[in-house]
Amino acid sequence: MSQNDPPGGLFGLSYDGETRVFERLKLVSTAIIVLVGAWPIYWMTQLAFTEYRVVEDGVTVFPTPEIFTFGNFTVLTDPRMYTYMFNTVVVAIGTIVTVVIVSLIAGYGLARLNFPYKEHFARILLIGYLFSPIVIGIPLYQIWRSIGLLGTRVGLIIALSAVSMPFAVWLMWKYIMTIPEAHEEAAWVDGASRWRGFRDVVIPQCRPAIIAAALFAFALAWNDFTFAQILLPSTDTTTFAPGILRAMGQAQFLPDAYLMAISLAMTLPPLLFAYFMQSYLLKGFQVRAL
Amino acid sequence: MAGEPRESFRPRTAYIPWDELPIQRETVVGIGTVLPVVILYLLIAVLPIAFAFWASLHDIHTLNPEWEWVGLDNYYEVLNITTFWGSLWRGLVYMVGSTLIQLTVGLWMAVVLNRITRGQKLLTAVVFTAYLIPTIIVSLVALRVFDPAGGVFQMMGAEWFGLWGAREAPLGSREWAMPFLILIGSWKFSVFVTIFTLAQLRAIPDRFYEAAKVCGANRWQMFRDITLPRLVGIILVVVLLRSIFMFNKFDIIWQLTQGGPGNSTTTLPVLAYKTVYTNQAYGLANAIAIVMFLFLLAGAIGYFMIFNPSEEVETTA
Repeated sequence: MSQNDPPGGLFGLSYDGETRVFERLKLVSTAIIVLVGAWPIYWMTQLAFTEYRVVEDGVTVFPTPEIFTFGNFTVLTDPRMYTYMFNTVVVAIGTIVTVVIVSLIAGYGLARLNFPYKEHFARILLIGYLFSPIVIGIPLYQIWRSIGLLGTRVGLIIALSAVSMPFAVWLMWKYIMTIPEAHEEAAWVDGASRWRGFRDVVIPQCRPAIIAAALFAFALAWNDFTFAQILLPSTDTTTFAPGILRAMGQAQFLPDAYLMAISLAMTLPPLLFAYFMQSYLLKGFQVRAL
Repeated sequence: MAGEPRESFRPRTAYIPWDELPIQRETVVGIGTVLPVVILYLLIAVLPIAFAFWASLHDIHTLNPEWEWVGLDNYYEVLNITTFWGSLWRGLVYMVGSTLIQLTVGLWMAVVLNRITRGQKLLTAVVFTAYLIPTIIVSLVALRVFDPAGGVFQMMGAEWFGLWGAREAPLGSREWAMPFLILIGSWKFSVFVTIFTLAQLRAIPDRFYEAAKVCGANRWQMFRDITLPRLVGIILVVVLLRSIFMFNKFDIIWQLTQGGPGNSTTTLPVLAYKTVYTNQAYGLANAIAIVMFLFLLAGAIGYFMIFNPSEEVETTA
């Protein structure tokens, strides 16, 4: 070890030795993550492309040519499945739009405008995290029933938006705080109104936070089972998650291979989002304080 | 006279209406911006909780709109049914177990994803997908691989490790249902921790590590003195959120086991749901919901008093 080497690392290893150990640990870790992370998705995919009779009979690992089929995907055209998936898409889009618009405006207000009890308001919003969907859902069932929102997609959109709201508002608030106010002041000096400044200066710079909030809202809406189960009791307006569970309960025979084909179809949009949006997403979540 | 020519010389004279308006105007606009949030919040949080509290004081059959005033009897009943305390205990086991696993796995995945050089984007996408795909799909895949008829994990557990019999369903056994619920949930929700910590890790400039290297710090010291302080704030927030979310988790438990076998995976949310739809006791279920909320509120306030996540975050900013 020469004089210039940094002093020893862990377990008396030299810096280079330590680096080698870390490289190896990293490789092992990566392998485990690939295995654990990708495995269920792989399994779902291979079952989706395998003849359902083969799937029912035993374990398959890979859809070899003689058992390979696209036939399982015909279940997607089943009117009931189609309705479930359509409803889920409508609810997800509705939730994203509501959450982004409302949280952008509120986040801007919290970051740039002074009004009394601002901090208290934000803190009370945090309590919103404590409400379990089940705690809200049970009373909401009666409330929605009496005002006629029970069983409507709008009712579900309102519920889901409100649930992702506290988080989205905090995200926007903290993110807008990181944008220098001078940018807007420059716009105002040039004669822009506050609204113009918000629209043309703040919103374009908020893109990472908007994508992060949108993705969070999307995950919530795409994931949601509890609210949909309670608030959409009838089959024709229900979303995918409770719908498929009910269909499984009612159907005499809904092959696993079909279920996996549907699951794959519902997994692709999130996978694409995760691939193309991840840098924005991570940038949006860089805000420190929640 | 003087005003007009000057206008033409400088057509873009600063015009900031807000400066000329009384300060109340800003207050009005400010409150206006948060008004939609307040309305949604009232509608979806405050109103249901108030409603649930009011309903919890009545004896209500789920399908029957007649409310019979019983005062605090429902609470008395809630605290005296053995399933309540059992469910609370199972909920705590589920919450603590899941949160610990998710925190460990999530942090580890974030550190690895931040350091790998090849295939980083693809692997990150695959990992993130776990959080974004519907819970029901995680459940469907899990039910499939643990199915005694052709489930690959069931088969491996039975034939390779002899953990259970060949015809046994692990998710239907008292012994294995809860551990597997924790593991399956953790597969999905560890990613939540990963997303937040990875975002923080990405924000640390490389020059910090270079400087530390020049000063002769080893990797552990770098992690302890550069990485960890950056992460502490977000970890505190994430632990709080994950604990609350896991305590409140209903969907994945209901989809995988419906609280069974027996009551062995019935946590409080599942108990509340069963009380509404199986026992048709709407008032009692609302009492359970209120008690759950109070437990969480007490827990969260305690957590804030001990750790104060928001302040912690600000000091490291």
